[in-house]
Amino acid sequence: MWRRPGTTLGTLAVAAAVLVTACSGAGSGGGAPGGSAGGGLVVGATSDPDTLFPWKATQFQAVNVVEQLYSTLTELDPALEVVPGLAESWQVAPDGKAVTLTLRKGVTFADGSAFDSADVKSSLERIKAEATGAVARASLASVTGVDAPDASTVVLRLSGPDAGILAALASVNLAMLSSDDAEQALTAKPNGTGAFTFVERRPNESIKLAANPTFWGGAPKLPTLEFRVIPDETSIVSALQAGSVQFAAFDDPLVAQSAEGSGITVAKTPQLSYHALQLNARKAPLDNLDVRLAIQCAIDRQQVLDTAALGEGEVTGPITSPAYRSDPAARPCPQRDVAAARRHLEAAGHGGGLTISTIVSQGEYATSVNEATNIQAQLAEAGITLNLEVLESGAFVDRWVAADFQSAVALNGGRPDPDGMYGRYFTSTGNLNKVAGYSSPELDQLFAEGKALADPAARKAVYARLSQELERNAAWVWLFTSFTYTATTSGVTGFTPMPNASLKFLRTTAVGGS
Amino acid sequence: MTAVVDVGRVAPGRHTILRRTLRSRTGVIGAALVGLVVLAALASLLGVLPHDAVTQVPAQRLRGPSGEHWFGTDQFGRDVFARAAGGAASSLLVAVVAVAIATAVGTAAGVVAGFFGGWSSRVVLGVTNVLFAFPPLLLALALASAFDRTWLTVAAAIATVYTPIFVRVARGPVLALREAEFVQAATVLGFSPLRTLARHVLPNIAPILIVQVTLSLSWAVLTEASLSFLGLGTPPPAPSLGAMVLEARVLVNVAWWSMAAPGVVIVALVVGLNLLGDGLRDALDPRGGGNS
Amino acid sequence: MILRGTLGHPLVRRLLEALFTLAGVAVLVFVMLRAIPGDQITATLGTEAAALTPAQRAALETYYGLDQPLVVQFWTWLGSVLTGNLGASERSGRSVLEMTANSLPITLELAVLSLVVGLVLGVGAAMLSASRPDSARDAAGQAVALAGLSVPAFLLGSALLAVAARFLGYNPNAEQFAPLVADPALNLQQMLMPALVLGFGLAAPIMRTARSALLETRTLDFVRTARGKGVPPRRLQVRHVLRGALVPILTMTGLQFGYLLGGAVVVEQIFSVPGIGRQVLIGIQQKEYAVVQSTVLVIAVTFVLVNLATDLLYRVVDPRVRAT
Repeated sequence: MWRRPGTTLGTLAVAAAVLVTACSGAGSGGGAPGGSAGGGLVVGATSDPDTLFPWKATQFQAVNVVEQLYSTLTELDPALEVVPGLAESWQVAPDGKAVTLTLRKGVTFADGSAFDSADVKSSLERIKAEATGAVARASLASVTGVDAPDASTVVLRLSGPDAGILAALASVNLAMLSSDDAEQALTAKPNGTGAFTFVERRPNESIKLAANPTFWGGAPKLPTLEFRVIPDETSIVSALQAGSVQFAAFDDPLVAQSAEGSGITVAKTPQLSYHALQLNARKAPLDNLDVRLAIQCAIDRQQVLDTAALGEGEVTGPITSPAYRSDPAARPCPQRDVAAARRHLEAAGHGGGLTISTIVSQGEYATSVNEATNIQAQLAEAGITLNLEVLESGAFVDRWVAADFQSAVALNGGRPDPDGMYGRYFTSTGNLNKVAGYSSPELDQLFAEGKALADPAARKAVYARLSQELERNAAWVWLFTSFTYTATTSGVTGFTPMPNASLKFLRTTAVGGS
Repeated sequence: MTAVVDVGRVAPGRHTILRRTLRSRTGVIGAALVGLVVLAALASLLGVLPHDAVTQVPAQRLRGPSGEHWFGTDQFGRDVFARAAGGAASSLLVAVVAVAIATAVGTAAGVVAGFFGGWSSRVVLGVTNVLFAFPPLLLALALASAFDRTWLTVAAAIATVYTPIFVRVARGPVLALREAEFVQAATVLGFSPLRTLARHVLPNIAPILIVQVTLSLSWAVLTEASLSFLGLGTPPPAPSLGAMVLEARVLVNVAWWSMAAPGVVIVALVVGLNLLGDGLRDALDPRGGGNS
Repeated sequence: MILRGTLGHPLVRRLLEALFTLAGVAVLVFVMLRAIPGDQITATLGTEAAALTPAQRAALETYYGLDQPLVVQFWTWLGSVLTGNLGASERSGRSVLEMTANSLPITLELAVLSLVVGLVLGVGAAMLSASRPDSARDAAGQAVALAGLSVPAFLLGSALLAVAARFLGYNPNAEQFAPLVADPALNLQQMLMPALVLGFGLAAPIMRTARSALLETRTLDFVRTARGKGVPPRRLQVRHVLRGALVPILTMTGLQFGYLLGGAVVVEQIFSVPGIGRQVLIGIQQKEYAVVQSTVLVIAVTFVLVNLATDLLYRVVDPRVRAT
């Protein structure tokens, strides 16, 4: 009596449940309950953005949302060339010590207030103020003052020529905020000039945005855009297959592979970010060039890539931006050379073997531990024992920030301009130089040269030398770049992936048919 | 919840317990399952398996089970059997150490609280109540991420969660024993409390502790696996059963064995420990005799 | 003397004990969180935190309230909690009260559904077992309990999700989570698999308790009398034996319910259920001190209340306990 009705009920419930989805599945295409009628897009994300305040957004999920809501003075096109943003044109003074930006007219913030030069001045000055705690403050290091002669003109006064400043301004961490808005208010209700406006946020569940019909770049085609938090990547894949999510970006090749097929298109895009074994050249025994070269020579990068990332990626030198890309063969031991590695160890006085430790983050990205294991195995063959310290991401960040490591297996973000990418690491005054663990007068000189040059071809030559200087000294061991995988369901068109993993082209994306 | 032991009775000898346990069917099956997993774990520790758990052979990735690779290979071409065996070894290591700590600390605290009462009892019970009210997995999780992660800190975190259970298990019978005639007699005769505890109290709560240890081992194995699944267990590259299941989640459609293998090992180990615990309980329970 | 009399009352003593426990939980969660490496600055900025100047770092510490001495931080938090202000999430600007008002009912719903599954499975298996001890039936019932005890939730959950998504194309948990009131049909579908997984685990302790309680009750006088009077066996089982065994089953169920609140984390994570366990888990990852501290306290309060309620219920249901 007790059991039988129970069982029947259970079976019925399952049957009914399957039926209900079968019905609702048939008419899918973004029909979120209570949401938009067709045409809206749902993006699947594994975690909730940790902040929606643009000047502090560094996590990918956060940047991906923030860049829909805010815009920047300049922008990058898919080839990472600088193109107009909120500034429709600019003029660099002949001596390179001033940049005059002409702002777009008629741009408004989401709350309806007008955007003008006063907002630019206030934004840039607040970013520069240390009390704000803006992460991109150093990008404005060469800016000594901001003038707003009229409502649509802004003049940046520079301490000297800065060829990278225009690319730097395209970072969402330098997004323009209204001079009336404070951080606390924007955390709860973002107010920007982006292609979409903020509608609703349910913590750890979803963020809903709506098209900004007056967006300066033209109204987006998607009436609504939702970032839905699905903590589990496998569930995102099945959500794509079911059509309840139409768009997702993955960085794990295995997940991407499992998504392919059944109407889902997966496009892979090479990334600026790079996998590296960071060496801390200020800590013995890595302060010895021969030790660093021994490590460099003992590692077959392609093997690391093949074993840890299924060969999905490309062996790289320091500079990953397409326009300035380093030649990965231009380095000591372009091919693995264990004998050379042993000679270097011998020269360093460690012929009998050497032990160093490395910090590895777990959970931050898919391949870290496997890279570390493979490097460990390869170094062992050259007589170097690598001890792995596998850390939870919070602990890893703490140690990394404090430069408290001999070496670190890291995935670092890249930038389109080599100066913006490495100036902060490898100039002796760079704010990340402590973490980089290496600097030299030669490098300082090369960075200064590159920054002062305006001609792209001349800059390219300087950065090729710079890249070789880094490799010759084995400042770090650069390993490979990987891909992001953009998975879309069949009706989704008009999206262009970017090498910096930006999703800004959601503004031109449309969901058709079905 | 806890079996009530006839406290006046002196525990049966070790050989009797073993014989009785093995006489019950569940005890035998349990012992066999645990023995099998322990054997594989030992083989992995001694390095006598045909493959090791860490070497990556990309050319042989995602192969199904075969004579060469009994449980197939994973996405890096690592032998899944070797990894499962290695995972069992680290699971067992963590579980055994965790339960050892929990038993030692928990029993000591429980016996003290039960035997001496008063303030010691109030403090011990207060701490126990706090630990009970704290969500156990979250407690282990926070502890595991608070310290440099090694298998030992993971074990300590799990031990913290299980210590209160031993406090309760030990305290109850001790409370009853304190009033028992032979203990009272020992006290009246002027024996030191330590001697009384060692000679009269501990032997009497031993059976119930043994059962609790076996059952706790199975929970500790599960907790370690759950922590690993959440990315906070035994640190890689050492194989871990929970982490293997986690990694297998994206693979399960193309390589079912990657999830099945660690799953089977966990379940076999935990089922074995539970059955063994049941068998022991039957053997030690003076009411049950031998078979039930 | 009156005071002494009041303090001596078992209920008052239980309440005092509960308050003491909660204070302990508050201290423990506070200390533990700060022992975890990293703070909200590094949790938000990641490795970019290395680029901060000392003045920027100081400004951020002030912003997040990390510049205060720990003791001050503790009393500020506790003080505001006692006045009903649980603090707010720095990430979303939402108050913890609001977040908890969203997530706690979800976990409670999941807990109730899991208990239903657990009771149906557990008591069902127990009745099967107890109806003929030491038979094949008994073995089958015990096997169910053993499986529930031995198959970890994360394994069962992962496998269930994979199989359902792969072979049935069915994964309601990939949809946005639907609250019960907004969309009951979808909500129940989304709760189905998590509740099955959790309920399966719960079935084990319930089954074991129920089995021994049933076996014990069968030998009691009133059951014998009823049997003697010729009450049909099935009716006897339900009306007499089961009712008699209700007390231990209820106690066990109450205990399990308390554990479910924080214990559902893994299942909530696998099935994307925005419950209270996940709220704590994400809070720990993001170093949102206020969120974790207040939420854990809420869980502990609920746990203590449920235990208290079980205790009272026990007294009401079982006359023997009432007498003592």
